[in-house]
Amino acid sequence: MISSNFNAHMNQLKALILKEYREAFRDKRALMVALMMAFLAPIMIMVMSKIMIEKLVDEPPIYIKFTGAEFAPKLMSHLADNNLLNFVDVPEDEKNTWQQRNITIEIPQDYASDMAAGKTIKLHLQADFTDKAVKPPVRRINNAVREFSLSIGYKRLLLRGVDIRLLNPVKLIEQDTAKPDATFMLISMMLGIYLMLAAFMSGLSVAIDSSAGERERNVLEMLLCQPVSTLKIVLAKLIGASTIAVIGVVLVLVLTSLSVGFVDLTKIGATFSLDLSTAAVLLLLLLPICFFASACQLFVAFQTKSFKEAQSTVGMLIGIPAFVPFVVSMMDDRPEWLNWLPIAGQSMIIENIFKGLEVNWLAVFATSSVTIAITVALVLALAKKLKSEKVVMALS
Amino acid sequence: MIEVNNLHKSFIDKKDKKNTVKALDGLSFTAKDGEITGILGPNGAGKTTCLRTLYGLLSADEGDVTVDGIEVAENPLAARAKLGIFPDKFGLYERLTAYEQIDYFASIHGMTGASKKQAIEQVLKDLDMEELAHRKTVGFSQGQRMKVTLAQSLVHQPQNFVLDEPTRGLDVMSTRILRNHLAKFKAKGHCILFSSHVMQEVAALCDRVIIVANGKLAAQGTPQELCDLAGEEHLEDAFVKLIGSDEGVAA
Repeated sequence: MISSNFNAHMNQLKALILKEYREAFRDKRALMVALMMAFLAPIMIMVMSKIMIEKLVDEPPIYIKFTGAEFAPKLMSHLADNNLLNFVDVPEDEKNTWQQRNITIEIPQDYASDMAAGKTIKLHLQADFTDKAVKPPVRRINNAVREFSLSIGYKRLLLRGVDIRLLNPVKLIEQDTAKPDATFMLISMMLGIYLMLAAFMSGLSVAIDSSAGERERNVLEMLLCQPVSTLKIVLAKLIGASTIAVIGVVLVLVLTSLSVGFVDLTKIGATFSLDLSTAAVLLLLLLPICFFASACQLFVAFQTKSFKEAQSTVGMLIGIPAFVPFVVSMMDDRPEWLNWLPIAGQSMIIENIFKGLEVNWLAVFATSSVTIAITVALVLALAKKLKSEKVVMALS
Repeated sequence: MIEVNNLHKSFIDKKDKKNTVKALDGLSFTAKDGEITGILGPNGAGKTTCLRTLYGLLSADEGDVTVDGIEVAENPLAARAKLGIFPDKFGLYERLTAYEQIDYFASIHGMTGASKKQAIEQVLKDLDMEELAHRKTVGFSQGQRMKVTLAQSLVHQPQNFVLDEPTRGLDVMSTRILRNHLAKFKAKGHCILFSSHVMQEVAALCDRVIIVANGKLAAQGTPQELCDLAGEEHLEDAFVKLIGSDEGVAA
């Protein structure tokens, strides 16, 4: 008896959900919004990172006036590997700049014979060292020449059977504890906000359409007159809208992780890569958000007086996922309770994931539970509200 | 059978207590099985409020409604299972086909499997709408929309059938289809309750007429009895006399 009763309830719920899916997946406009978010993500990431990486790490070519370049072909090719080029190859548009900087290196005529004899060769670097624009090139030339010189020195010792580690009794290992590069922080923060936005945006039109839209099309009253509990109605609509939201988020994650593969984030000090396990953790974090977002949207949309009002009011909800992570990342002293709040909690965890820190599973569990609890409360409240006379009176 | 017993309902304006509207003021009537009962009343007489109380959407301040002996206020879901509802404004799910929409309501009423399929086929055949069945309902004409709504409210063969101004906006052909269907339904012993403005229709179709004015029962009886009661030849004149004003007829 109990099981047949349960089956009847499940069949009813199944029919309700099936109808929501049919309507949602046939709503081309709503689907386009969901997919648009997803397809724009990788483009944004690619373009932003490409621009920033170029700015940050590219070693621009330096043109040096060599005299006696023909005496040291190996040195020249080593310098060329480091983008230190001969002035004779300078492109027309940069000619004036490098003419003005006037960096010259003089290679002596007896370079080859001195090299063979093991004598010290003196290269002369001439430039105006007080000129700011000249300083970075000079540093790079200095490094390149020392590197070249050391590599030859090491080889000579190796040939004589000397362990070259003897030359480095003390070695300084540098560990940069500075925060990751500010620009990288910006990218990861934007990706975090983008994921939140995707969770909120993707299911948005479906949520509005299945609530305020149905009321406007006079089908809600008919549904409320049927022998079905309002809780089931709300659950079906929540599942419909949040499924679209989940699809949107999954697409953003997949496409982003694919596109991140094309840009080398390590060049700008990024310590994370969006591999499968990271993506899985992000998805786990965002799943409750999808349900939470759809529940919020349904809750608000059902209370509005018209479809138009629902669109503008629910549109304002979009501000939350964009605003909260931004504020949180700006805060220096974060109060403990912030960890527990939906969106704020998740955005802090996402921030840490992008910083390359270990995932704090307790925090994940806590914020997810709170998010789910609030979602359940919203659903129950909405189911109760749909029974109220106020909602019925607003039908016509 | 639908029994409405001493129904009271007021809508209270929270900001302005004086603005309270008394929609129902002790309305009682019975709609019997095997009969078509018509509710006549001017706009604002409380017809829609009465029907919404009957569906269990509104709760009465006083009095009760029972559907086949089930108290609506106590067990709305069980009472609704006994009802077929043709609503005031019927909208359709425009992204579903007619078949899917009827299937949806059949499933809500707990039908499954082969029996559901058979019921849907039957109602499609009865309403002569097999050709429409697998088209999406967007762009349906008013008559076609009426058929879909009728099919979805009758697919589970409800004992009681409630229609709220069903012929509004329908052409002659559609109205005839509806009437024929109601007559067939009545012959099978179902209880039919419908509200209307159209006197000819009420006169032609109803076994009993209930006239509601100001939330109260103004008169009841067969159309002929009402005419006799008011001493008029036409139901329309009788109606105006019985509700005691010209107001409402013009509206």
